[in-house]
Amino acid sequence: MKTIIALAVVALIVLFFVAQYNRLIRLNVGVDEAWAQIEVQLKRRSDLIPNLVETVKGYAAHEKTTLDAVISARAKATTASTVADVAAADGMMTQALRGLLAVAEAYPDLKASSNFLSLQEELSTTENKVAFARQFYNDNVRSLNTAVKTVPTNVFAGMAKVSVREFYEVEDAQSRQAPNVKF
Amino acid sequence: MQAANRRKTFGLLAGMGLLTGLVVYAALTYFGSSTVGIVPIAVGIALIGVWGSYYGSDKLVITMTGARQIQESDNPKLFGLIQEVCIASGLPVPKVAIVDDPAPNAFATGRNQDHALIAFTTGILDVMDRDELQGVIAHEMSHVANRDTLVSAVAATTAGAIAILSDILTRMMWFGGGRRERDSNSNPLAIALSLLILVLAPIAAVLLKSAISRKRESLADATAVAFTRNPAGLRSALEVLAKDSTVVQQRSTSVAHIWIESPLDGTSVSKLFSTHPPIQERIAALRAMESLS
Repeated sequence: MKTIIALAVVALIVLFFVAQYNRLIRLNVGVDEAWAQIEVQLKRRSDLIPNLVETVKGYAAHEKTTLDAVISARAKATTASTVADVAAADGMMTQALRGLLAVAEAYPDLKASSNFLSLQEELSTTENKVAFARQFYNDNVRSLNTAVKTVPTNVFAGMAKVSVREFYEVEDAQSRQAPNVKF
Repeated sequence: MQAANRRKTFGLLAGMGLLTGLVVYAALTYFGSSTVGIVPIAVGIALIGVWGSYYGSDKLVITMTGARQIQESDNPKLFGLIQEVCIASGLPVPKVAIVDDPAPNAFATGRNQDHALIAFTTGILDVMDRDELQGVIAHEMSHVANRDTLVSAVAATTAGAIAILSDILTRMMWFGGGRRERDSNSNPLAIALSLLILVLAPIAAVLLKSAISRKRESLADATAVAFTRNPAGLRSALEVLAKDSTVVQQRSTSVAHIWIESPLDGTSVSKLFSTHPPIQERIAALRAMESLS
């Protein structure tokens, strides 16, 4: 009887260890997947740029600075690899595109062209997808980091070779601004 | 908000279980132990009926509502919006269907996230802007994430079993069977109580089922905001639905609970039996979330 109880206790402990270990691995894979989603969406956005630049050029060729900002942001984005670099390039691109769309407001012909309209729709959905992919990634990183730092999972973090991951933080002048408080 | 709604659903489902227990107790006191065999029969009938519609819910509902499935090329803008919400929630992209109906409405169904289907009326696609539609999609995807098809199937099974059970038992009373057994309880108070339970249980079961449905709607609103972080979109969508007086053509009560806005006329159905919380209450809850963020 005693040996049965001892075996049961050992089995429970082993099961507990396995569960903690697997949880960490699962969270880590979740972060990897979320990161892959960000890259897919950034690539999609990047692929839209040449077509967009061409379309805008057709109506507003002299808006060179705005167009160049978009093109150089795209070049930056292709070379970035670390989380911080990708995030920085992403922020630049968001800014540049916002500038481009603001410029487009001044050209009624451009705004009315069907090509631009469909590009604009595709751009806004991609921009949303990038934003949601970021949000999903950061939520996953938050769960992982909490698990890595809290008892009991922290004990297994080293064994599972899982460590704290970096948040995806976008430098965005607009979202940095302090909110207006009115009373 | 989400945790509270989950707890309440759990409590209500437990209430359903308790109610089933009460009916069984009443049957035993009134008719004696020979009725024990009826219980698994009633549960079995209810299970077969509900399980079939739960398992094939994505296909069944399509036929019942006259929805037709569409592909990405049919409506790239709608699919773009759906993909956005899927990325935000980490769910796979569901099947999408359109119901030709001028009344703005939408629903989600399917036994799990891999067999999910969300449908929109042509009316809702016409009247709503990008943010509003995103809120509606997030609400429907929340039903998928929260496995509400399963929850309502469990609720429907129990309510169905209770209805069948009390139906059989009341019939037995009419045909003078039953109360001849020695082992049945002879305490008049217990007998009166059992009768009361048998008569009231089906009504109570329907009330509980509606209450569960209402809680799942509130939960879906809260989960939707957790996905999009934009309570204003869904709030504005609900305001559009509240203002709109047209209702979806088919008013079958059997599929009423799956729509985002109740297709049944609000005035004719009392609040207790309603499958949805009052739309103004939902709008107020979302406004409260807006002021928090």
